[in-house]
Amino acid sequence: MDFAKQLERLEAIVRKLEAEDLDLDEALKLFEEGVERLRAAREQLTQAEGKVKKALKGEGSGS
Amino acid sequence: MGAPIDLFAAASAEGAWTVTEVTRRARVVIEAGLPPLWIRGEVTGFKAWRSGHWYFSLRDRFSQIRCVMFHNDNRRLPAPPTEGMQVFAFAQPSVYEAKGEFQLTIKELLSTEQGGLWKLAFEKARAALQKDGLLDPARKRRLPLFPRRIAVVTSPDGAALRDIEAVITRRWPIAELVLVAAKVQGDGAEASVCAALARLGKLEVDVAIVGRGGGSAEDLWTFNSERVARALAAVPVPVISAVGHETDVTLCDLVADVRAPTPSAAAEAATPDRAEVLVHLGHLGERLARGLAQRSQRAVDRLDRTLKILARGYAVARDEKGRVLKRVKQLPSGQAFRLRVTDGEVAARVSSPPDPLSVPERGNERGVSSPLSRRERGPGGEDGSGAEV
Repeated sequence: MDFAKQLERLEAIVRKLEAEDLDLDEALKLFEEGVERLRAAREQLTQAEGKVKKALKGEGSGS
Repeated sequence: MGAPIDLFAAASAEGAWTVTEVTRRARVVIEAGLPPLWIRGEVTGFKAWRSGHWYFSLRDRFSQIRCVMFHNDNRRLPAPPTEGMQVFAFAQPSVYEAKGEFQLTIKELLSTEQGGLWKLAFEKARAALQKDGLLDPARKRRLPLFPRRIAVVTSPDGAALRDIEAVITRRWPIAELVLVAAKVQGDGAEASVCAALARLGKLEVDVAIVGRGGGSAEDLWTFNSERVARALAAVPVPVISAVGHETDVTLCDLVADVRAPTPSAAAEAATPDRAEVLVHLGHLGERLARGLAQRSQRAVDRLDRTLKILARGYAVARDEKGRVLKRVKQLPSGQAFRLRVTDGEVAARVSSPPDPLSVPERGNERGVSSPLSRRERGPGGEDGSGAEV
């Protein structure tokens, strides 16, 4: 899952947990998913860094 | 040609000059007597030939001179002059021998109007883009918050690319940077940038930066080309223009989804700051934990309330699967169930047929039933639906 979607889901979970009157089972399930999303999001942010790709050349008039 | 002129040689018919000789002589005399000079006048009768050469006349109140400006000289100009435009021209006076015409070969042309030919071309192209709706603010797309792939259309060895790379490495190093090399100034720049822009659609990037470092008006002209502006408008992902000029807005700036004053600023606009995002994640983690704690607390509170109600003499009836029995029809005669009272649980069985209340039971969604209600039915279960313990 890409970072934007990961974060979006995490934010939705937090809002739901804060706002809605959930029973404990549901709250626990959401919490667990939230923790997993948080971990995955952090991992994505600290993964190997991208690099400039010079594979594409655009010199000349190009056709 | 080199022979000195004997002004008396052609005084009689025998020594007559040919047309070519006279014309050539006139040309030599004029070019020697009138070296390249600046001239000012009004443009009239302009015509651009298919060869790319321009033909027109310069005139003032009393005189008029034929002018030619060859393609090689006029190609650097953004637009042809308009009829009646006041111009300064740097010209070599000469004679066009084939027609025996006195004419100026124009090397440079400047409009005396503010901004001159550059401005004229800009306004013309801007009007055309406007007409096609390409400058409509509603066309502007929002930039992605967390880009995965960022394309950069610029010169591979310009300062712009280095600046962009540095900013992205600092702020959002998880993004992949895709260079689409283009020639950003000089001959062929227009076509090169257009081709690079056309390629963006196939690259699966989230956002693109198009630009170059600062330069003269002439250097930046590629980004004022209507053709380039249209190619930019056709890019399927959001585009940030970064033409490196704080004061002059280019056509590309107008068409782009976001205009950045410099390539570095464009890279900042394209990316979030990883450090800030990590802080945000930290806050979300805290809220997550707090949210769960609140939910747990509420569950504990709810349990407390239930226990308190039981302590007041109410009981909860459940079947063998633990389902709360709230209604008379759930308790047919002989039905076994368990009764939760304040200090424990007992097995029970319905001893007689149901006896519904005339008033349905109220407010017992939580499952605290009142089969032993004292207020409505009197103490105990003596009259009908009592439980046999």
